[in-house]
Amino acid sequence: MRRRTLLQLLLSLAAALPARIKLWAQAPLLSEADKGRIRRVAEIVLPRELGDDGRERVVAAFFRWLQEYRAGAEMDHGYGFTRLRKTGPSPADKYPSQLDALYARAQASGGLAAMTEDARRAAIEAAVVEAKVERLPARPDGGHITTDLMAFYFNSVEATDLAYHAAIGRDLCRGLDGSENRPSTLPTGVR
Amino acid sequence: MPVFESDICVIGGGISAALLAQRVSELKPGRSIVVVEAGDRLFDTEKRRQDRVRSLNYGENPWPGDFVEDQAAAGIISRTMAVGGSALHWGGVCNRFSAEDLRLKSMYGLATDWAIGWDELERFYCDAERVIGVSGEPSPLPQDRRSEPYPMPPMVLSWNLRQLKEWAEKSGIAFWSTPQAKNTVPYDGRSDCKRCNTCEICPTGARYSPDYTFKRLLASKAISLHDRTLVRRLVPADAGGKTPRIVSAQAVHRDRPDDPVEYRARLFVVAAGYCWSPHLLLSSSSSRFPTGLANGSGLVGRYMAGHSFISAQIELDAEIYPGMNEQHSLISREFFRCATDRPFVRHDLRVWESSAGRAPRLKDDRGRILLGDSVLADWRGRTKRGTARVRAYYDVHPSIDSTLTLDRTTTNRLGDPLPRITHNLDDATVARLPETKRHILDVFNRLARANNGKVLSTSEGTYLDHPAGGCRMGTRAGDSVCDSFGRTHDHENLFVVGSPTLPTAGCTNGTLTFAAVTLRSARAVADAL
Repeated sequence: MRRRTLLQLLLSLAAALPARIKLWAQAPLLSEADKGRIRRVAEIVLPRELGDDGRERVVAAFFRWLQEYRAGAEMDHGYGFTRLRKTGPSPADKYPSQLDALYARAQASGGLAAMTEDARRAAIEAAVVEAKVERLPARPDGGHITTDLMAFYFNSVEATDLAYHAAIGRDLCRGLDGSENRPSTLPTGVR
Repeated sequence: MPVFESDICVIGGGISAALLAQRVSELKPGRSIVVVEAGDRLFDTEKRRQDRVRSLNYGENPWPGDFVEDQAAAGIISRTMAVGGSALHWGGVCNRFSAEDLRLKSMYGLATDWAIGWDELERFYCDAERVIGVSGEPSPLPQDRRSEPYPMPPMVLSWNLRQLKEWAEKSGIAFWSTPQAKNTVPYDGRSDCKRCNTCEICPTGARYSPDYTFKRLLASKAISLHDRTLVRRLVPADAGGKTPRIVSAQAVHRDRPDDPVEYRARLFVVAAGYCWSPHLLLSSSSSRFPTGLANGSGLVGRYMAGHSFISAQIELDAEIYPGMNEQHSLISREFFRCATDRPFVRHDLRVWESSAGRAPRLKDDRGRILLGDSVLADWRGRTKRGTARVRAYYDVHPSIDSTLTLDRTTTNRLGDPLPRITHNLDDATVARLPETKRHILDVFNRLARANNGKVLSTSEGTYLDHPAGGCRMGTRAGDSVCDSFGRTHDHENLFVVGSPTLPTAGCTNGTLTFAAVTLRSARAVADAL
């Protein structure tokens, strides 16, 4: 089969896909440049206790979460007040422009990388205020890249364990044995 | 037109249908049983585990496809319509009602008495607990006497619940482990609980779900299951005057809506829950039966019941680690009973661990934005104390105008009117509501005060939970739809089973009661063959 014919066939197959599948397939990927900019944001919005490796692990997991996000997927339809809902567009759609605005603001002070930590923090706080985000969402929702990254991490099983210095393991299948005891203290260095 | 003939046609595929089919197949092996369910069968357990992860990570439906898009009801509590029904995603709580629920009229002059005696129902509670598989700690109250032990030992109290029990009992109220349809040891071929914290979609099979029963019945060829098939109406025989037998159920497969299907059976059992059971009877109207079938009393779709609830978050001095076993709870039944010479108030009382006030946040109490280290520091500062979630389900009684009606302005794709549920409480309930709420809030404050606690917030339910009714049982044809076994007064071969038959909905979770009355009905259904 000639290359053009194959391409036409693939395009026609794609056109025939149900809308929901197409929506999932269209989840935008962040550019490497945007990923780099998010890593700089992570230095401020994630706790230092994670260390460089831990922070990079969280950021990588965040990128993976975005990659596997499905727009238009069925959501839980609730109990008591029930309605059918679907997930919205990928939150990543909004990140490039949010990062542009954040970095443009920082550019006036020599760029985010050149700024002191306090100045970077102030720039991010200003961006959060401007985005009118009032609380951490349950999951990233596109409100702002900074608060989405924080929500992604701080709502995790790992963050809860870190906050409590305890191996709670919420949502992990842990068995009943020993659950009558206080959760064990996290070993030193576990993040 | 395809015609399917059987001894019994069960309409609906939830927990009542599963238990009824199982029990009848045991009592009358070899009889043909067809179960017809409008929703899909969601039997793939590996996919269930994947869906759980998607639900946790993305908030996606843990049961994708568990509804029928155009088959919705205004005022319904859940859209779930699938093989397994609402009990696919139930929490598994298996509380019993109490003798008072069955004697409201004779004891208190309220609502109505049930047409079942407590001692008999208690035996079927034991039966249901065995069939479902319930782990529980016996109530210390003598009034809660059991004739048989729980099939499994109770769920261990987590560290958190141990702290909360110690705290709560300082109020002088006794608490114990809530009984649940969750295996604490391997049971009935299913795993023990792995404490995954997501009982609404149990990835291990430790929490009972009716789909396990259906799978087993299918494997043994005890039943035929016709899923994706919506029964639209029941058809009475031409003979029989005002009380004819039912001769068929007319249905359509959702993939072939223009090609009707007919089910013929000796017995028809409507096991479609509190909403779709009365809906089917009302939808089966004709010029001969203009108000629907089994409706000589005019009470189909009346006395729609449920219980109200009030919740609170209470901050307390306790070392609580949110997430240890969030779905397990303590229960007290101390308020199930009410002296007959005192204002009527009955409720259960539950206590859970909670993360309210202990979650990470973006802004501190002064409104300052927190980032990175400061989020963690702020969070840790709030982990020093703990939070308990408490809730009381309280007894309310439906009026005759608590209704399910056919909403002719809203139809499915076949043009059939869909249900509209409008709950209304009877006058006595409305009159005592302020006192009931005051009493419950006093109990919450009593709990809080007992150990340096503080009520952070309270909230009232906006719907009636564990709904029931719509085809209530009774001894007389004039004031009920069916007898205590669910046999309709008007059609000797038509039964309604489970939640719709309950005259009132108690003051605690209803599923075990739905199961118990269904198992009792199953004997009558089998005897009628």
